[in-house]
Amino acid sequence: MKIARSSALTLAVAYISLGLAALALFAAPMWYAWRVTIQEGRSEILQSDAQRLTEVFRREGAPGLVSYINARVGLQIAGERLLLLADEALAPLAGNLSAWPATVPPNPGTYTVKLELSGHLTDVALVHATLPGGYHLLVGRDTARYAPLEQRFWYALAGAVAILSVLGTFGGILIRRALMARIDGIRRTVSAIIQGDLSHRLPTHDSGDELNTLSRTINGMLEQIEQLIHGVRNVSDSIAHDLRTPLAELRSRLEELALTRPPTEQTFTEIDAAVTDVDGVIRIFNALLRLAEIDSGTRRSGFVPVDLSAVAAAAVEFYQPAAELRGSSLMLATSGPAPIRGDPVLLAQALGNLIDNALKYTPEDGAIVVEVRTAAYDNSSVEIIVADSGPGIPAEQRPKAVERFYRGDASRGTPGVGLGLSLVDAVARLHGSELRLEDNHPGLRARIVLTQDRPQITRIARATSDQGGFQHEPVYP
Amino acid sequence: MKVLLVEDNERVTQFVVKGLQEAGHTADHAPNGRDGMFLAASEPYDVIIMDRMLPGEIDGLAIIEALRKSGKRTPILILSALSEVDERIRGLRSGGDDYLTKPFAFGELLARIDALTRRAQGENAQTRLEVADLRVDLLTRKVTRGNRSVTLQPREFKLLEYLMRHADQVVTRTMLLENVWDYHFDPQTNVVDVHISKLRQKIDVDFERPLLRTVRNAGYTLTSHD
Repeated sequence: MKIARSSALTLAVAYISLGLAALALFAAPMWYAWRVTIQEGRSEILQSDAQRLTEVFRREGAPGLVSYINARVGLQIAGERLLLLADEALAPLAGNLSAWPATVPPNPGTYTVKLELSGHLTDVALVHATLPGGYHLLVGRDTARYAPLEQRFWYALAGAVAILSVLGTFGGILIRRALMARIDGIRRTVSAIIQGDLSHRLPTHDSGDELNTLSRTINGMLEQIEQLIHGVRNVSDSIAHDLRTPLAELRSRLEELALTRPPTEQTFTEIDAAVTDVDGVIRIFNALLRLAEIDSGTRRSGFVPVDLSAVAAAAVEFYQPAAELRGSSLMLATSGPAPIRGDPVLLAQALGNLIDNALKYTPEDGAIVVEVRTAAYDNSSVEIIVADSGPGIPAEQRPKAVERFYRGDASRGTPGVGLGLSLVDAVARLHGSELRLEDNHPGLRARIVLTQDRPQITRIARATSDQGGFQHEPVYP
Repeated sequence: MKVLLVEDNERVTQFVVKGLQEAGHTADHAPNGRDGMFLAASEPYDVIIMDRMLPGEIDGLAIIEALRKSGKRTPILILSALSEVDERIRGLRSGGDDYLTKPFAFGELLARIDALTRRAQGENAQTRLEVADLRVDLLTRKVTRGNRSVTLQPREFKLLEYLMRHADQVVTRTMLLENVWDYHFDPQTNVVDVHISKLRQKIDVDFERPLLRTVRNAGYTLTSHD
């Protein structure tokens, strides 16, 4: 990684620049306030000085002021304070300036001008006052006296800038090192994953900092990907396993036909049988595709408000004649509308599969009960229960029953491809739940718990009453 | 009936065209989107069978959308290998009238295009349906066979109504599932057959001539012809 591209370094540079900008913004008003204060103070001192001299003039006249000034000039350090009394023609009478400076404007006032003092051109603050009788008075101060102070200010500022830059750079490097160490850990893990080992996870700890949060999110994503890939692997294994048998049968049937060349009538019978074989393969194939479609989770975008009771009622009505034919009873027990958000087609299919299973495994004169009710322990949940009086599934086989292509001992000799319950489970999982298989003493009790969709209750209630208790609205045109 | 088949697979084309001809229809064929678009727009067809994925730049759905935009109301059956529910919805939204996934049985295809053309001829606001001496009054919901009144459950009535509306046509189990129960999935077992036999018990038993007949390898038909 190039240093110039390092985000940590960029960050450090940005922080240093920001610090410098803040420092400048902080120093500028200070500098201004300081200057103004000094200038104002200085001109105040000069004003009062001029005032005092004017009073001496008023009391003792020009000669008095001349001797006063001379006395003052003799006392003070040269160059500290400038004093000059001049007559009408601006000829010097007394003071420590040899001539009236040409740079001073003719009108009275406070000025800052450049004067040559002992060979140096310096900035001088002056008060020019006129006295009665046409005399001119000049009181001034050499501002160079404050130059060292100003210099010290700039030195201090430069020092601050230097410290900030050094510390900032140093801190930036340290942050970059720490960051790089962690990012490198993430990079190594990700490289390992890219090479195909999905079991790796990013290192995380308990703190809630950003990188840790990011690592956890990525771990969650990896978990999901691993599961999906596992699912895909499962499906392809299942396809390989379960499509091979019917395809082998079909192949031998056709090959035998080609070899033996039976009479026409028999050939047609064989062809019909072959078409039926193919239909069986297509059926398994479609079921697998449907499962994959459900597993991918994309169907969740099509969720709409659904009344589970209405779905159950329609399913029970649909299977009723089949139950009658077998001499079993199929009953529905609901406690009013059960609104949820879901996929009505998939829910109907799942319920259909459960009823179909129950019908298949319940002996004649058996009893199947489909129940939709608010969960006893939590009234924000809705339970769908399909209970039968058949042989049930032994407790140790129940987890396997949901697996793809699993066919329990009891199912031998019955039609079906062993995808029914896995489809129900997939639908349940799509709706944030799972299929639970329980003992019905005797029989099997399949239960799915779904979250009730409260805000939609009124709307659904109206929709169902309009349609005589069933949701006939075609969701898929 | 004049049918246009837009399909790029030669085997499927041969199979469908031959089947349609045997059923007494004439069939034109376009192997790509451009020809399909041209024929569909210029010739009068009773029904169009449209594959979704076609060679060239125009796919099936684009043709359907263009035809619908230009005001063509010819019934269109979409034939596609894309079986996902969302794909089906997309197909019907683009302007298709029915959606059949590959692989398909020819009987299913034929039954569906028959139903489509019947629908196109207009399900005028009939209040009475009649097949031989079987009469259904859609307003009073009374059903009579000969001079005997028949009592039906609401769903049985819907099933009979659908069969009557498609009298003399073959109706497949999938069509019944979709149109009578609004179930768009394979319920594994032969529940539709059980419903049919129950209905048959009510309308055909005790009568010399059965009206509701099973068509082998295809489905059912309600007809008075032999």
